Amino acid sequence: MLSPGDLAPSPTLRSLAGERHALGVDDGPRLIAFVEVDCPTCRLTLPYLNRLAGLLGERCERLVLVSQDGPEETRALVARYELAVPVLLDEALEASRAFDPPSVPALFLVGADGRIGSAHVGFHKADLNATAGALLASLGLSATPVADAHDGAPESKPGCASRHLSIATATGGAASPEPLDLRPERGARASRIEVSDSEDAYEYCIRAGFSGFLPVVPPTVDRVEAFVAAAGLAPERVIGLVPPCYGAATVEKIAANAVMAGCGPEHMEVLIPIVRAACDERFNLHGVQATTNSATPLVILSGPAAARLGFVSGAGVFGNVARANSTVGRALQLIMANLGGARPGEIDMATLAHPGRFSYCIAENHAASPWEPLHVDLGFAPDESTVTLFAAAAPMEVSEHTARKAEGVLRTIAATLSVVFSWRRCGRVDAVVVVCPEHAATIAADGFSKRDARDFLFENTGVPLRAFEHEGTEGTQSRDGLTEVLIDGERHYRKFADPYQIQLVVAGGTAGKFSAVIGGWLAGPKGSESVTYPIRKEMR
Amino acid sequence: MTTLVNPLDERAEASGVPAPRLERLEGSTLALLDISKPGGSHFLDRMAELLVSRYGVARIVRETKPTYTKPAPPALVGKLGFVDGVIEALAD
Repeated sequence: MLSPGDLAPSPTLRSLAGERHALGVDDGPRLIAFVEVDCPTCRLTLPYLNRLAGLLGERCERLVLVSQDGPEETRALVARYELAVPVLLDEALEASRAFDPPSVPALFLVGADGRIGSAHVGFHKADLNATAGALLASLGLSATPVADAHDGAPESKPGCASRHLSIATATGGAASPEPLDLRPERGARASRIEVSDSEDAYEYCIRAGFSGFLPVVPPTVDRVEAFVAAAGLAPERVIGLVPPCYGAATVEKIAANAVMAGCGPEHMEVLIPIVRAACDERFNLHGVQATTNSATPLVILSGPAAARLGFVSGAGVFGNVARANSTVGRALQLIMANLGGARPGEIDMATLAHPGRFSYCIAENHAASPWEPLHVDLGFAPDESTVTLFAAAAPMEVSEHTARKAEGVLRTIAATLSVVFSWRRCGRVDAVVVVCPEHAATIAADGFSKRDARDFLFENTGVPLRAFEHEGTEGTQSRDGLTEVLIDGERHYRKFADPYQIQLVVAGGTAGKFSAVIGGWLAGPKGSESVTYPIRKEMR
Repeated sequence: MTTLVNPLDERAEASGVPAPRLERLEGSTLALLDISKPGGSHFLDRMAELLVSRYGVARIVRETKPTYTKPAPPALVGKLGFVDGVIEALAD
């Protein structure tokens, strides 16, 4: 592949209109993007290139798309993505051979001197922003990022082999018939269902399988339209594809499910980032929905938007305490079943499940917390608000009414932490600790910052080695990678691989010394990673 | 009359045609795909023995998914394109 500093070749290619154009630079810098029409990663990249074209405005000819496919398929791609950039065809793969990228998409930024300034393959938000920023800056335009870290797309994704390296292409192979869109921008409008006056719409919804077996508010056209209007987005806009069956969560479908769950229109503001987070690849809703484990997403709101939207963070936070908590959590569950397709006993194979499957949504009690909020802990500004999704088991309550010191409270919590997932399972586990205000006050009064408290829990949560003498029990198959430590003078394996596998959230009422430990599913990239999305107007 | 907005995924259910059944195992090449749950290898080791000794399978190819929590990566599926059949095994 050509590298920065190399002279960019200038083969002549045909446009879709059949005109011949030299690819090379004549009058300024240019970004050349090689794509294949059926490469999912190329299709993931195109909306960002379109955004760059919008930022380039009248200078959009500085961005050139080079298609490695024929005019017919390329024309369909241009129409599908409403591409507003010049497109050239490299059917003979002459340009592809000259630039020689191993895979596509491949972005070559060529300077005014005709030399390569940067070369990147695959989808990387950071590279896209850097390349787009450099092009915009070189043209005297503002270097606005084109890829938002929290738009629901992954940070990076490898591309497909460039066609000039593919044997199939050399023998006349071409695009596959049904290319995969990993992140379509628009989906189909929802159909309308006429329910006759002789039938109760409320009963119809239950019979039709819309409801998760609790009564629902019938999603009438008026109600759904009011929710779509509140979201301020087009009804056909796709927010995410919901695993495991990858139904499109359009704004309209999210609205219909939010209506059914009993939400108010104002809750669309928070449901949009919740659905984005649920469909984030790192969260792995595919596994969470299909596993025999009981895990289901716990939604944690942090920041000022929670109170503004009516979420309760105080007494009874896990219970039926507020419309927002109860209905937003339920809306996500309905979306997961109705659009994700995971129905109990079919694709959802949970052996037991748990009551969080009806609704599992809490807010952080900032007023009663001595520490910085969760969203600030995760790098967001104090005035921002976020939703965090965690693949969660049911809460295990921890009563500690006797300890008057931080260490006493934390040791009791650590004992419960030591059994999350399964007693001897260590390393690939994670947990949320919901610290009640009274416990948080006791811990903070001893000078413990939130980080100190988390570090203490990390250091003091373990499973005694003697537990591993019970051969043939869960966790004894392999002790590879486990860390041995002394806790209270006894040899233990550390329960958690990293302090950040324990998240602390302050919530609950100000009376009563009950905290809760919530075990996760399988932690990390091979299981489910907790994800946090901002509640922001600009990302909508 | 009440008009409702359909809240479900409305795509037609994907329908697939199963691959043709193998007429005989003797002389075939089979892949045993371990989904990487603990204990799966014990089951597959025995399966491999029996397939060769009792059914005359000519060659066994062993592959393992990187994690049982996610679908097999396309590259792994592609690697198994040459075999006559795949047995995917789950065990705990």
